[in-house]
Amino acid sequence: MNPKTKQIIISVVSLAVIFLIPQVLGIVKTNICVEFAIGSVYAVSLNLLLSYCGLLSFGHALFYGSGAYATALALRHIPDVSVWSALGLGALGAGVVALICSPLLVRVSGTAFAMLTLAFSQLMFVVCLKYREITGGEDGISGFPIPPLKLPGLGPIELTVPANFYYFAVVVLGICLGLMWFLLKTPFGNVMFGIRDNPTRLEYIGYRLPPSKAIIFIASGVFAGIAGSVFAFFQNVVSTGAALSIMVSFTPIMAILVGGMRTFFGPVLGTAILLLIREFTMKYTERVELVTGLIFIAIVLYMPGGALHLFNLIKMKWFGKAQTAKESSIP
Amino acid sequence: MSLEDVDVDPVTVMYVTQAINGLAYGMLLFLVSSGLTLIFGMMGVLNLAHASFFMLAGYFCYTSLGLVGNFWVALLVAPVAVGILGLFVERFFLRKVAASGLGHMGDLLLTLGISLVIAETVKAFWGTAGLAIPIPPLLEGRVFISNLEYPIYRLVTIALSLMILGIFALILFKTRLGKIVQAAVSDADMVNALGINTPLVFMLVFGIGTWMAGVAGVTSAPILQVYPGLADQIGLDAFVIVVVGGFGSLLGALVASLLLGELNSFGVQFIPRLAPVLMFAFMAVVLAFKPTGFFGERE
Repeated sequence: MNPKTKQIIISVVSLAVIFLIPQVLGIVKTNICVEFAIGSVYAVSLNLLLSYCGLLSFGHALFYGSGAYATALALRHIPDVSVWSALGLGALGAGVVALICSPLLVRVSGTAFAMLTLAFSQLMFVVCLKYREITGGEDGISGFPIPPLKLPGLGPIELTVPANFYYFAVVVLGICLGLMWFLLKTPFGNVMFGIRDNPTRLEYIGYRLPPSKAIIFIASGVFAGIAGSVFAFFQNVVSTGAALSIMVSFTPIMAILVGGMRTFFGPVLGTAILLLIREFTMKYTERVELVTGLIFIAIVLYMPGGALHLFNLIKMKWFGKAQTAKESSIP
Repeated sequence: MSLEDVDVDPVTVMYVTQAINGLAYGMLLFLVSSGLTLIFGMMGVLNLAHASFFMLAGYFCYTSLGLVGNFWVALLVAPVAVGILGLFVERFFLRKVAASGLGHMGDLLLTLGISLVIAETVKAFWGTAGLAIPIPPLLEGRVFISNLEYPIYRLVTIALSLMILGIFALILFKTRLGKIVQAAVSDADMVNALGINTPLVFMLVFGIGTWMAGVAGVTSAPILQVYPGLADQIGLDAFVIVVVGGFGSLLGALVASLLLGELNSFGVQFIPRLAPVLMFAFMAVVLAFKPTGFFGERE
């Protein structure tokens, strides 16, 4: 079988599986799949910064939360707002927040970048907590109306039906993943690798670092915002704890590390693994984060390449195919 | 005419009270952040779990109070326990992650993981509710100077912090060990090349730093209560101080702590809703004009 047919078969099968999930699995499991899709896009958007630019952000919840809040506020206050404009406002909100933060953030890197992003997200957290007449404080915004989705050539689709929402989320988030993949393949993607590997040389060649960093930062923010926006549709509740807290910033970092740094699909795999761990440990204990935290420490210490790296190792050992561990190795 | 009869204008009273409050909080923050900034200066490690040790000391204090019933024993035991835990973390975790090839990102991620685990362990053992720790009976009550009154315990906190910092400064600036630490802050590799066992010095400094965080945790426990979110709250303040004061600079940490303490205290008085935002805004302004912080030499 040549690689081309193999590829076609794999994509057809995976598309069929994605299509069949809500039909075969129950509502609960379908909703977990939606969570997985949201988490994947969120983690991959952070991964643009972490793996491809070498910038560790401890405050990505800032964009996730901005997107979620912008969508929730739009749905609550703008009469007859369509699904697409609410989604667009979520992306726009996150993008504007990223634009406002970027002048300060593009000047720093390393630990200072991590601390500054943490500070900005905490700033947003506190503001949303205190200005309760707009954001509802700790309780958040809930019960906003979810309009039916209008598509050309189709009647209105009720998004409150779990299966419909699943298809909507998968399509929107799938497009986001595709766009991020495409972004990395453009010449601009190569500039990103340059920022990670040798910023000084990049400057000598003639690229302007701060604007390039700002563009990546804003792009990453917008995609995180879309993830947050879909999350707002999905939960019908947006609160500071679920959309802006420190844990929301840390989850994608854990997903990236667990799945595998410096790979595109590592964070997706990591999100899946973390969700599985959560569903499994929830049966036995309430302290899910304790388990994930311990696993996280073990991975940082013993297997910084993550699960994908492990797969590659096993593949090499047992199937003898000389895999070029180009992407999964950490130099 | 006794002192009680002199009437001080209530506005002045408010200003003085808030200023002392700010000073108390600032000294406390300096106790926490001095260890943090030294560790950062020497090892390049920003210990995200530093504030978790602070919180853990508060919980140890609660438990030992339950066992022994004496605050002073708790003040002695809890920080030491936390310090030993710190030594353990440095020796068996941080030293290991240096070999994993993640660079300083590895340190950040590892300490992040440790802080998560500590937060969750604390919830599992002590529950999620806030635990009140009584002020030791000896230090209850208030000082009265005319119509200005102030709780004794907070004054004692300031005195205790000053004492520890005095001893600390003596060691750092007057002893051979202090010289080694100072030299290691500016160039660890060179010190190592001169034949000094820098890993051991790192371990010691890490232990002392966490011990100091522990002392701060126990002394502040009666004022702040102990709850699982404490680490985040104090930790953020301490990180802001380290960034604003300049990575690795003790003087910078002192100035930034006192400034932030006052900023916090007067912020709560005048613009209560925006008080927590003030310090981040302050940090953003400082970094916009001087990315290295007040006294820092590197970014």
